Amino acid sequence: MLDRHISRRRFLAGSALAAGGAVAVPLLGACNASSSGDGEGVTLTVMYKNNELTKEHIADFEAKNPGIKINFVEYDDTRLNAMLASNDPPDLVRGPAVGSASGNAQGLAAPLDAYLEKSSVLKKDNLMAVNESFRWDGKRSGQGPYYGIVKDWSQDATLWYNRALFEQAKIPPLSTTEPVSYDELLEIAKRLTKKSGGKSQVYGLGVEWAWGLSSPIHMMILQQGGQVYNADLTETDMTTPEARRAIKWYVDFAQAGVGPTSLDPAPDGADLSLFLAKRMAITQDGYWYGGNFVKEPDEIKNSVAMAPAPVMGDKRISPTYVGWGAYIPAKARHKDEAWKLMEYFMAGPPSEERAKSGWGMPGLKSQMSMLPQELPYQKQAFQTAQAELQYAEPLPDSPYVTGGSWIDVLNKHITRAIKKEVTVDDACKAITDEVNKLLKQGKDQIG
Amino acid sequence: MFYLFVSPWVLGFVLLTALPLGYALLVSFTNFNGVSSRWRWVGTRNYTELVRDTDAISSLMRTLAFTAISVPLMVAGGLGLAVLLNRRLKAVGLFRTIFFLPSVVPVVAMAIMWKLIFNRDGGILNAILEKISIGPIAWLVDPNAFYALIILTLWGLGGGMVIMLAALQGVPVELEEAAVVDGANRWHVFRHVTVPMISPIIFFQIVTGIIASFQIVIQPLLLAETNQVGAVAQVPQSTHLYMVQVYQEFFANNRYGYGSAMLWVFFLVILTITLLVQRSSRLWVHYQVDSEAER
Repeated sequence: MLDRHISRRRFLAGSALAAGGAVAVPLLGACNASSSGDGEGVTLTVMYKNNELTKEHIADFEAKNPGIKINFVEYDDTRLNAMLASNDPPDLVRGPAVGSASGNAQGLAAPLDAYLEKSSVLKKDNLMAVNESFRWDGKRSGQGPYYGIVKDWSQDATLWYNRALFEQAKIPPLSTTEPVSYDELLEIAKRLTKKSGGKSQVYGLGVEWAWGLSSPIHMMILQQGGQVYNADLTETDMTTPEARRAIKWYVDFAQAGVGPTSLDPAPDGADLSLFLAKRMAITQDGYWYGGNFVKEPDEIKNSVAMAPAPVMGDKRISPTYVGWGAYIPAKARHKDEAWKLMEYFMAGPPSEERAKSGWGMPGLKSQMSMLPQELPYQKQAFQTAQAELQYAEPLPDSPYVTGGSWIDVLNKHITRAIKKEVTVDDACKAITDEVNKLLKQGKDQIG
Repeated sequence: MFYLFVSPWVLGFVLLTALPLGYALLVSFTNFNGVSSRWRWVGTRNYTELVRDTDAISSLMRTLAFTAISVPLMVAGGLGLAVLLNRRLKAVGLFRTIFFLPSVVPVVAMAIMWKLIFNRDGGILNAILEKISIGPIAWLVDPNAFYALIILTLWGLGGGMVIMLAALQGVPVELEEAAVVDGANRWHVFRHVTVPMISPIIFFQIVTGIIASFQIVIQPLLLAETNQVGAVAQVPQSTHLYMVQVYQEFFANNRYGYGSAMLWVFFLVILTITLLVQRSSRLWVHYQVDSEAER
């Protein structure tokens, strides 16, 4: 009988071996999946979004590079973390320029300067300034080698508005050349807002609250001449007059009930559906937003316009909040082949398609002229966006705290202030304490 | 042979439960952030920090309150529906199917559907309430989001109903008839015969309900206005349950070490409460014992 020959000890030992084997097999499989076979070319593992790097792009790239196959993985933060932690990262990954400091400080991305110097299509002097946020010198972003390339970007604090709703409210439309102040903007929003029976028929202003308040608040602080972090990016002070004014503006905005907030959320978490339904007069979104209107009826296309980023203070700044692009992980197995895909995606046909579509501004100077100007609103937005370029300035990016943490902390305490559970001053103090705690933990982690 | 038969379960347990538990325990003593190789041992620091973390403790209290409300409602609701549908009615099978159907709808679809129903400006619930001059009510924000989450949870009580129905149909008719002969009315029969007879099933429902209720995370995230970056930020305070806090520590703050410590403490809390419920079962759960067989 078999059971006579399997002792408990042997069974446990066998189970452990089987367990070990079961763990090892997927790991080995993963190695095989991304390593090159002899004479069979290379398989690149690429983590991106399938509506950005499409099947057609992949097929075209593979046709042009017969030795390279792409194993596409849909972008997923959790999966990416697991792949990075297990030393089996993708060969090319979607990533933000603003917010890259943390990963760069941890040595997750490979420097690209050697590739840029050799490349005939991606050259440093052709990169838009937004790519600077992908640079890292070991202490701060904006200088040192490049660790990523921006796919497309926008100056995200600009405003899109519906002229018809302004006319209905008998309010002159926003200037497409001169910025409105945040205080004026709030007053205009109050006049544009229509409520009936406790419901908001028309919101005056949407600030994409659900997408996070950290970048706009940081921008407001810089516009007033303030600082978000200390010199070595290890501390913040949200109790300064500049930070307090910025935070108070959001509290006032929410209490005025002129737009979706954490206490009055947009039905689908974004302003677009309200804006297209003519239930929102102004929405704060970047140039990319114009891509939404191309297929809309004329009543939308002929009514929308883009205005410069509003200002809070004397310094006109119009930054990008993110600047999505791609990087090659430091432990990627096929960096050379990944760079070929980077060249194709950032400077080849996909990048030209993107530029021509108007879904964001290109990461390359040479492609700026490809932005669409056929429709009147496209031409106007192009001109406004061009004029805004001179006010572009990178937002500060500490390697010791994530954007997600900032968003959570700000939203939590600002919401309490809106509900009057705490004063604005108390909220500012709590935000400072909580973010500083996270910064300290980040510093402790990264060193 | 015995060991071969149990080996699939043992392998599953070792790989999918014991190993992750052990791994999480190790991680809970580090400052690991999920990606960096620059981690180090921090001893019990994560656990001592957790004791002082007011957000974590508040979320735990909120979770206890949510469980204390939702589990009795789920069990009582499931039992009530089962009693209603344990009769000889016309098309009773259809009714059973209708009540059971919501519990097979995927949780994501269910949450999105309720999000539309709860919408303040365009939701059908407020449209109905408006007819009787109530509202509009902002269901998805504080403090109403808590009740919205409970309603969403109750939507799945059809699953419990089916189990209760099976239990009710297993109650010997002769016991109920004997009670009637002895002069018991319908309530007395239900209270003193039916409920004791199905008490093991009620106990099972309570234990599994408590564990499931403690672990809720998807529903609050989906009911909130979320996006990739600030997923947790938009969860209202009243539905910011313990697992949402854990999610925040893992995926917003990248604090895998601290998040693992939170999970281990939570595991111990759930274990303790489950053991307490188990202990209490001696007082109110009645098992039918075949005394002949026992001898």
